[in-house]
Formats: sequence, C-alpha cells, structure tokens
Amino acid sequence: MSDGRTLEQIQRSIKIKRYIKMSILTIIIYAIAIAYFSPILYMFISGFKTEHQAVMPSLIFKPTLETYKKVLGDPTMFRYLRNSFIQVVFGTSISLVLGVPAAFGLVFGRLRRSTTNGKIYFWFITTILLPPVAVIIPLFTWFQQFNLINTPLGLMAAYIGFHTPIVVWMVHSFFQDLPLEIFEASEIDGCTRFQQFTKIGMPLVKTGILSAALLVAVFIWNEFFLGFNLTGNPTATLPVYMARFREQQGMFVAQLSASSTIAILPAVIFGWMTQKALVKGLTLGAVKG
Amino acid sequence: MKKKNDMVFILPAMIVVIVMTQIPFLLTIIFSTLKWNLARPDLPRAFAGFQNYVYFLKFSSLKDLPEFYSILWQTIVLTGVTLILCSFFGFLLALLFDHRIPGINIARTLILGPFFVMSTASGVIWKTTVLNTTFGWYGVIAEKLGYNAVDLLSYYPLSVIILLFTWRWLPFFILILLAGLQGIPNDLMDSMKIDGVNWFQGTFKIKLPLIMNHLEVAIMLGLVFVIKEFGLILVTTAGGPGTRSYNLPYAVYMQVFSANNVGRAGALAVMTVVLTLVLLNLLYKSIKKQSARYS
Repeated sequence: MSDGRTLEQIQRSIKIKRYIKMSILTIIIYAIAIAYFSPILYMFISGFKTEHQAVMPSLIFKPTLETYKKVLGDPTMFRYLRNSFIQVVFGTSISLVLGVPAAFGLVFGRLRRSTTNGKIYFWFITTILLPPVAVIIPLFTWFQQFNLINTPLGLMAAYIGFHTPIVVWMVHSFFQDLPLEIFEASEIDGCTRFQQFTKIGMPLVKTGILSAALLVAVFIWNEFFLGFNLTGNPTATLPVYMARFREQQGMFVAQLSASSTIAILPAVIFGWMTQKALVKGLTLGAVKG
Repeated sequence: MKKKNDMVFILPAMIVVIVMTQIPFLLTIIFSTLKWNLARPDLPRAFAGFQNYVYFLKFSSLKDLPEFYSILWQTIVLTGVTLILCSFFGFLLALLFDHRIPGINIARTLILGPFFVMSTASGVIWKTTVLNTTFGWYGVIAEKLGYNAVDLLSYYPLSVIILLFTWRWLPFFILILLAGLQGIPNDLMDSMKIDGVNWFQGTFKIKLPLIMNHLEVAIMLGLVFVIKEFGLILVTTAGGPGTRSYNLPYAVYMQVFSANNVGRAGALAVMTVVLTLVLLNLLYKSIKKQSARYS
C-alpha cells in the first residue's frame, strides 16, 4: 500500500466506485427504457384529456375519464372489440387443438418411415415463411364467392391456417425436452397412444402450450393484412378500426389515444406475460431445428 | 415395440394448413399466368403465359427502369436497413440491459412494449402525436427551436418507415439477444475478468461469437416478419408520395384492390415469395459461413 491507505479505506473506495457506477447505469437504463416507451406512454396519458386539451401536446393537464368513457360506450368500438375477441378466442383455441397433437405426433409418433417426422416438421416451418400476400388473392375471391366476408368464419379459417404452424413449432421444442422413456413405459403399462398424449404429454408441456397460446393470441389480435382485406364492415377487427384514424391529420387525438390504449393493452399485457416462454420457444425451436 | 402409424395426430393440422395456405398459394401461381381483371367481368379469363411477369420486369434501357424495380429496391432497403439497425442497436442495448440493477425487469418490460403494439396503432400514434407538423411533438419542438418543420412523411418516407419498423422490431432483437447473453456461463465471465480482457475484446471477440446463434434466429425471423409489413405503411404514408414508399406487399394490395388486376397481382405476389426465399437463402448461407469461421 504505497499511498498509505489502510485496507479498509481501499475497500470502501472500491465500494463507492461500484455504487456510483451502478447509479449511473441505473439512470441510463431507465432513461433509455422510458424514452423508448414514451410514445405509448404519452398516448396512454392523452386518453385522460378532453379533445380540447389534446390538440396541442402537453404533459400537464387536469385528467378526466370522459374520453375513455365515451370510447368504451361507443357501439362501433364495441363491435370491433367483440370481433377481435371472437377471432382471438376461437382462432387460438382451434389452432391449439390442431397444432398440439401434431407437435406430439411429430416428436413421438411412429410413422411409416422414421425420416417422415423431420420432413413434415420442416414443411410446417416453411409454411410460417409464406407471406400472407401470397394467398390473399384466392382467399379474397373465395370469400367473395361464398360471402364469407360478412361472417367471422372466413377470417377465422385463415387465421387458423396461418397460426397452426406456429403452435406446432413452439410446442415441438417443448415436447423434445421430454424423455422418450416415459412414453415407452406407459405403453407397456397399457396406455393407448391417445392416453399417452392427453394424460402424460399434455400436462408435461403445459407451459409450452400456454406460451404458444399467448403468442398466437397476440399475433391474431394484432394481425392487420388479412383482417383488413378479408372482412366487411360487420366483421372487421380492431387493427382495422385503428387504421381508420390514419386520415385525421392530428385531429381527435384524445379519442385516438383512448381507443388505441384499449386496443393495445391486452396484447401488451399478454406479451409481457409470455416473454420468458417466448424466448425459450423461439431460440430452442430455431437453434435446434 | 409395435410399429404404428401415428398420422392421425398430424393429419388434421396438415389438412387445414394445406387448404388455407398451400392451395391458395398454388392458385396464386396459376392466377399469375392469367389475364384476369376483376373490374371487367365481360372479358374472358385467358391464359397469358408469362405476360404478367414480363409487364413488371421488362425494361428497354437501364436508365429508364420501370416502377417494379424501384419497388423491389425499396422493399430490400426497408427490410435490410431495419434488420441492420435492429442487430446493431439490439446488441448494444442487450449488453446494457444485461446489467443487474435494481428493478431491471421493469426497464426490460418497458422497452419490450412496442413489440406487442399492433402495427396500425403504432403507425397512427406516431403519425398524429409525434410526426404531425403542427400538432405533434416534432412540430411543436421544431417551432420552439425556430425551425420550419417539414413534413417528414412526405419528404423522407422511407427513412420514417425504417424508423418505425426499427422501433417495433428492436425490442424483439433485444429480447432474444438478452437471452443469449444470460446463457453465457458465469465462470467464463469470471475468467475473462481474471485474464484482463478489455471491454472491446470481451464484447466483440467473446460475447458476440457466443450469441451468434441467437442473432441468427433474430435476423431470420425479423426478415420473415419485416418483409411482409403492410399496416404501418398503409397508415403512415399510404405508399406515397407516388409509389416512393411502396413495398412489395403494398404493391400486391394496390394491384388487387385498386387496379383489380388479379393476374398482375398474382405475379407480384409470387415474386414477393421468391424474394423472401432468395433473401433467406442468402442470409442463411452467409450466416453459415460466419459461424464456420467462429467455430
């Protein structure tokens, strides 16, 4: 110790340095996070303004629930909300009913040739890559022909077709973590294939199924291209409603803010809930496969 | 063990996916060879061979390229620049958010938010509350500073759209890269410290190669999703001015729903898929080369 400080003093100075570094980091990280989130935050706040207050940007004002009340009481908004809700609930659950057994079958199923599993799995992955523009024209002409534009069934069918592969992909990576031995043992005990799936497989990949469900729900809730082109006025979903604000040139900011807050809140909350499982599904599914 | 055929588990999903995605895609390919205009039901649908493709691709001289090429270029620029920005800033921010500070999860959650916001909502929010020249923050701040706020959406449509794409997809990159960073074993970090590795070496020579897999995943998925973005363009610039911010999906949409030309729209849609596959393939190959170098 050439500078004559005692060990205690040195330790304390290291501690102080570390503390300062931590504080600076904390400030930087929070500043970035809040700045990044600020457009959404500002929108959320603006929903508490009256239309008059919202014309010019401001952060200090007398909050009121008036605009949120107005938007929630609006029957048009309610219709879009209900349509989105129907699509998410039925679209997600049917995608799961189709996709989860398929993922199980692709991991543990015995097909005629052992290489077939991998091939079919790969095919499912490639369908995720297909952009919706590639199918929009025939779907549009079919939907016109059979008048599916005005029922929620048409769009739902399209959503199921597009999101089942995502379920397969995510749940597949969770099934792969299970040891084959459990299923072999249960087979010896007299379990049928179907029982193996419902009684052993499904409970063990609960988290995987849940995260796939949340992810697909978020995707369907936010999906715009198909929803915009394949629905008529009575069946259109929330993203289509939000797109209607595009021509308003800075007018009705309060109404826009309140409606978009309501529109994005479920997806953001669901998204936050699913983030851990989402990472696992994405990285495992992709790094391995 | 008895050989069984477990196709029953897989078949229902396959049938639905085939009916809703594969058959329509095949039909699109067939449509792309037809002369078919929805607005003219009196004209017969006739086989036109590759005429629809020729219509877009034909050019007389290199100086005077038809619109298709600029749309193709815009699609590539939009996707490419967005992915580059996302990779770069995503990596840096992931490093920053890898620190253990109090309440880090709140900060992570906040920065992740924009990813889950529907594209049309984020488009209209930015357009009205931020980018508007009179009523948005941009206009107000520019006026305070004494500048004349130009309408960014009509002067720099591509840059603004790239900014918005990046705003939406950067959190996704951070999410995946952060998972990669957290997967790096602790004893490796400790030995880095003991060996006196400086920040630059530690970050780019050790951490980056270790999370290369995660970066690949993020870029691949990002490419698939960004190339088909449609809502953001529709609500912010509506492709304009002129066709200066069209991307291929938007051009397909305009061909079907504005020009009612099914044949040409089909040709564009097929070319969109081809572009996606070509870019994915190029990316995949360069990634394989990269990771071969590292390992």
